[in-house]
Amino acid sequence: MRERIEEYLEAMVRLKEVGRELTTTNLAKLLKVAPATVTEMLRKLAKGGYVSYSPYREISLTAKGEAAGKKVLRKHRVAEGFLRQMGIPEERVHEHACGLEHHLSDELEEAIHRRVERERLGAPENMLPLTALLEGEEGAVEKIMGGRSACQRLSAMGLTPGTRVKVVKSSLFGGPMLISVRGTTLALGRGIAEKVLVRRD
Amino acid sequence: MGGILRVALAGQPNVGKSVIFNQLTGLHQHIGNWPGKTVEKAEGTLHFGGYTVDIIDLPGTYSLSAFTIEERIARDYIALERPDVVVNVVDASSLERNLFLTLQVLELEAPTVVALNQWDVAKKRGLQIDVRKLEESLGVPVVPTVAVTGSGLHRLLERVIEQRGKKSSFPRYGREVEKKVRILEKWLGGLEYPPRWLALKLLEEDEEVEELVGEARPEVLSHVRKMRRELEKTHGERPTVVVAAERYSLAGRIAREVQTAVPAGERLSDRLDRITTSPLTAYPILALVMLSLFLVVFQVGGRFTWFFDSLAGRLEGLHWLPRSALGGILAAASVALPYIIPFYLLLHLLEDSGYLPRAAFAMDAIMHKMGLHGKAFIPAVLGFGCDVPACLGCRIMETEREKTLAAIVVTMIPCAATTAVILGLVGKFVGLPAAVALYVLHFGIVLALGRLLFKLLPGEPVGLIMEMPSYRIPHLPTVLKETWGRTMEFLKIALPLVVLGNVALSALYETGATGALNTVLSPLTVGWLGLPAMAGTVLLLGILRKEMILILLATALGTANFSSVLSTPQMMVLGMVSMLYLPCISTFVALGKEVGWRRAVYVAFLRVLLAIFIGGLLYRALSL
Repeated sequence: MRERIEEYLEAMVRLKEVGRELTTTNLAKLLKVAPATVTEMLRKLAKGGYVSYSPYREISLTAKGEAAGKKVLRKHRVAEGFLRQMGIPEERVHEHACGLEHHLSDELEEAIHRRVERERLGAPENMLPLTALLEGEEGAVEKIMGGRSACQRLSAMGLTPGTRVKVVKSSLFGGPMLISVRGTTLALGRGIAEKVLVRRD
Repeated sequence: MGGILRVALAGQPNVGKSVIFNQLTGLHQHIGNWPGKTVEKAEGTLHFGGYTVDIIDLPGTYSLSAFTIEERIARDYIALERPDVVVNVVDASSLERNLFLTLQVLELEAPTVVALNQWDVAKKRGLQIDVRKLEESLGVPVVPTVAVTGSGLHRLLERVIEQRGKKSSFPRYGREVEKKVRILEKWLGGLEYPPRWLALKLLEEDEEVEELVGEARPEVLSHVRKMRRELEKTHGERPTVVVAAERYSLAGRIAREVQTAVPAGERLSDRLDRITTSPLTAYPILALVMLSLFLVVFQVGGRFTWFFDSLAGRLEGLHWLPRSALGGILAAASVALPYIIPFYLLLHLLEDSGYLPRAAFAMDAIMHKMGLHGKAFIPAVLGFGCDVPACLGCRIMETEREKTLAAIVVTMIPCAATTAVILGLVGKFVGLPAAVALYVLHFGIVLALGRLLFKLLPGEPVGLIMEMPSYRIPHLPTVLKETWGRTMEFLKIALPLVVLGNVALSALYETGATGALNTVLSPLTVGWLGLPAMAGTVLLLGILRKEMILILLATALGTANFSSVLSTPQMMVLGMVSMLYLPCISTFVALGKEVGWRRAVYVAFLRVLLAIFIGGLLYRALSL
């Protein structure tokens, strides 16, 4: 039952992300089930406080539902990244991730996320790229990789070795991330943030 | 006593430097460009204590490396033009990061006074700064100021006058760097720049200085390379990073010594920051801001165009020469006054309030697909209204490379006048789907061009690194003065060109040279593009104002029912060419101002070629 609830919440967050309306029809299409099944499930979700729903009206996620859905979706994506790195063929990645997402504990998700990011960037063992830090996490700059221009720019903005950084907002849809450094907030593009290696607290 | 005192204002972006400049100089100021550069230069004068004080507002920069043109302008001005005093404007609420620049100003050993600005904001945030101690650590006078109220500025000027002729002393960095600088400086005397500064710049891999010293003292470079290797070995970092870290550690030490922080609660600015960067709220807010910007600029501006149109109507009946000259003045004024003034006003408000970086943050991922920076989103959207303010808006881009890229792409966005041509010709007589198809094709081309330019333009694309300044209330007098100054600057360049163009093209028309011109152009227009011969003059005159294309077409054809004279492929081709070919004269001027004339001419030339090429292909494809 928990898995099905997660499945629905994830689907709703996905729809919202791409800007589609939350309707029974859209949900049924995405989950490949009959609309009647969706309606029944929505009643259960409403009872559990995940959505507010009445027939023929647009469905909306409650804060609780949204948080739960986002968590599952994040786990799904972390699982996908891991599977790709394991060499699972692209066409089966999604399917495997759908199974894995329900069984990843928060701790395991984090550990996999970090390992996946590190592998992807080939960074030394004890350092992480800035992009691997989660929202709200802090660390210290260890090293700046990349060419002279990038080094010049980053160090001029205060990202020199030993500097404390905190992730204010992590990257969204491959966009920039926000970090707090030396009392100011900086937006860093994903590409350049990957060049900053940090040691997490 | 008395005489002329040259004072340069240096400081990081968003510290209130331009407000100080405006408070000091009032209306006695002038906005222009640095000679041979596309970077803005603001100068002003005031009288104080028997002196005539000339103030130069240097570009706002975070550092004085050779990374951007702005940084090079700022440091070369201080080092080579030797102003009598440099006023370094510092944001008191972000002392450590600002002192990073202060130390670099001190490295140039010019007489310096520090203006500790936004003193009130720092206080509200619970930051207390011991000014006396800060003066001791830096070795130069420090004056707390609140630029928006003008408080502290009188004292600042007094200290400036006292400080003239008193060189500041080179900051004391760590022993390792210090030792290397001392050795190197001995070999670097007699050059234009201060020797110690050159030495430090050589250590931190400064391209420009390396080139300069390479020509004057090539033998020094081998020592420099050896020292860099030593630095890299001991620190495990690039020398650039080592030297920057050295400065930051000194800046941090000073900041910690002079400042005590009392925790303060969340302020309105922090709350605003949160809602403008969280995706759920950021995008609706951005849409709202853009919509109101668009509405204000084009609705309010549009209200005034009738006035210019009615004036233009009165010109009928005059001899063609004065008519075309006056018409040119009106054309320039009808773009500048109703559109540019409100646009600049709003852009400055957005910029000074701190919203602009948030908008760029939200749009960066999407704009990247076009090879553009997130900040280019605002000019790009405005391009749909008028390409002139859109292009002028590209000055908010950080590096020359990004500005050029944005300006070229943004001026290709079909403006309201071009859209009127497409809708009035293709939309009305061929059908809306055909008009939409032209748009899709056009944007495909713009997208491809953006990505191509991204690869071709010189300079290394450095990813987004952008400060998110705290929100604050813009200083209205500064915003108004800057709007006025920039608009006048644009008019000064645009007016003669638009008038000349108008007269030249009218002369063609009036002297009956159009027939000959059409014949000359006919291999292109008729042979390749498949258009009637008169399209040559129509397109040529369309450069004045794009909406003229429709009117001229109707005049030349003798009917406004275009489908009775032109075939479907002909209308499609004419529409496509109108979108792609030369921007109107005013846009061309704006482009020249932002990216330089050579590049603007280049772009115009390439766009004509592209229009001819695509138009011809389209004609053949449609005639199959």
